[in-house]
Amino acid sequence: MSKIIEIKNISKEFKVLNRREGLKGSIRDLFSRDYKIVKAVDNISMSIPQGEIVGYLGPNGAGKSTTIKMMTGVLEPTSGEILVNGNVPYKDRTKNAQEIGVVFGQRSQLWWALPLIESFRLLKDIYQIPDDNYNNMISLYKSLVDIEDLLHKPVRQMSLGQRTLSDILAAFLHNPKIVFLDEPTIGLDVSMKSKIRTLIHALNKEKNTTVILTTHDMGDVDALCQRIVIIDKGKMLYDNDIEHLKGFFGSYRTLKVRPAGDIGKQAEELEKELKNLSVSITADEEWISILVNEEKSKVMEVLGTIQKTHDIRDMKLEEISTEEVIKKIYEEGVE
Amino acid sequence: MKLKKYLALTRAGILESFQYRMAMLVMVAGNLLYLTVVYFFWKAVYASAGTSVVNGMTFSDTLIYLVLATALFNFMEMYTVWEIGRNIQSGKIVLDLLKPMRFRSFLFWSYSGTFVTQFFFTFLPTFIIVCIVTNGAVPLGINLLYFAVSVVMAVIINYAIDFMTGTICLYTESIWGINIMKQVIVLLLSGANIPIAFFPDTMKTIVGYLPFKSIYNTPLTILLEKNPDITVVAEALGIQLFWCIALLILSSLFWKISLKKITVNGG
Repeated sequence: MSKIIEIKNISKEFKVLNRREGLKGSIRDLFSRDYKIVKAVDNISMSIPQGEIVGYLGPNGAGKSTTIKMMTGVLEPTSGEILVNGNVPYKDRTKNAQEIGVVFGQRSQLWWALPLIESFRLLKDIYQIPDDNYNNMISLYKSLVDIEDLLHKPVRQMSLGQRTLSDILAAFLHNPKIVFLDEPTIGLDVSMKSKIRTLIHALNKEKNTTVILTTHDMGDVDALCQRIVIIDKGKMLYDNDIEHLKGFFGSYRTLKVRPAGDIGKQAEELEKELKNLSVSITADEEWISILVNEEKSKVMEVLGTIQKTHDIRDMKLEEISTEEVIKKIYEEGVE
Repeated sequence: MKLKKYLALTRAGILESFQYRMAMLVMVAGNLLYLTVVYFFWKAVYASAGTSVVNGMTFSDTLIYLVLATALFNFMEMYTVWEIGRNIQSGKIVLDLLKPMRFRSFLFWSYSGTFVTQFFFTFLPTFIIVCIVTNGAVPLGINLLYFAVSVVMAVIINYAIDFMTGTICLYTESIWGINIMKQVIVLLLSGANIPIAFFPDTMKTIVGYLPFKSIYNTPLTILLEKNPDITVVAEALGIQLFWCIALLILSSLFWKISLKKITVNGG
């Protein structure tokens, strides 16, 4: 497979003014030349083949958006090489733009006051999409999602979910080779999330579009990505498939229990009782999840301790989830 | 076809401005209010002057000039500085930069639809009313053609100045002060608020060397001149053309240099 994105040792530095506190400090800041260099992206390399869906993960402020902005050509890297579809993005921004699509979670590229179909027609002219391709794309959209009603609705009257859906459709409209999705499911309800995941998956399969997805929702990653790249503080932590990553945490098990009574309260009690067994506890509406490292303490031992004081209605044992893997990496890194 | 993608933006602009009918009405009302103030202000000026001709202009000359200047302002003002500033602050500029089109063209053509609606809904009605009310004070001849050419160049000059001011927002990340300053400078020095004929001589000389005059004073003077002298008109249009080219190059360079320093919010 040919590589659509090639990145070699790119870094991006920002010059940031050292801000002082208080009114006096603010006034002195007006004349200050006291800058510090912040490395938003630090020596990152990767290459991505055509048609792959890559999950690009990292905590807030890790440098994800900066990398994406360099790939799209909005920012120029301080050092390193970057090739997207054979172009150097920051040099040929307009040429590169013809071959990429973008969705930035909370911003819309659609024409606010106009019905969706008008935005589509505009994009058709702006990207100079031939009639045939345009019609094919619209009928493909119609077969994938129910957009008949949406097409004639002004964008400003849409719900967040409908708008995100429309934005994704707009980004794929000119059949770009790469689509960048920056937190596409942020703030959406469960059913909309799954709708959007199905859509992205289908478009990727149908058009062999490369998708670079940044998200904080591990559901997106599980549903879509074969490969994930994790960065933190500008540095690359991990670049491989998800299964491989889970292998690092082979000794971890997730014990899920459903005790009698209020789950939140029970979880708090368990937190105290299991303190010296070095486990981490999270709770949702149904289950209390206890992440156990078998090298440190055995699952049976944990379960035994719980049963002494709590009445367990139901339980199950699972592998470590993607969410927990990522959380552990953010907190501790990959050894 | 290349032009089609730009005209598509014009079309969208027209559609968009029809979505905001109330805004159009409010703007018309606001202008009427402004013109009332202008009327009484200049009435007082002429009353205190004691003569019917001040600086070579009669009361009705001045009023016609200012009414048309206001109509022209509504037509030409593109709020580019606001648009760029807001887009920088919200980060939406990233999406605009990622259109397969130069940003400057994208912004201009996105707004161009409003030219069309403003022309038909404010400038043209105002112009017709002025013509009827003043009964022949506005000459209707070849000067209309010169005027049209002059306005096109005025739009370009105005846009280039706006675009440069907007570019400054990349550095300051604030809009308000810069925009107000630009507006005051442009409206005053271009002769949109006070006809340049009223400026003291030194000011007139200074203004002569600046591009602002070409935005309002030049097209309006050409329009209202009863016996246009072709050499005078040609000279005025020549100066406009010079500023057009100079400012387009300048704004383009300034934008290119500035974009390298861009640090988009939320990054």
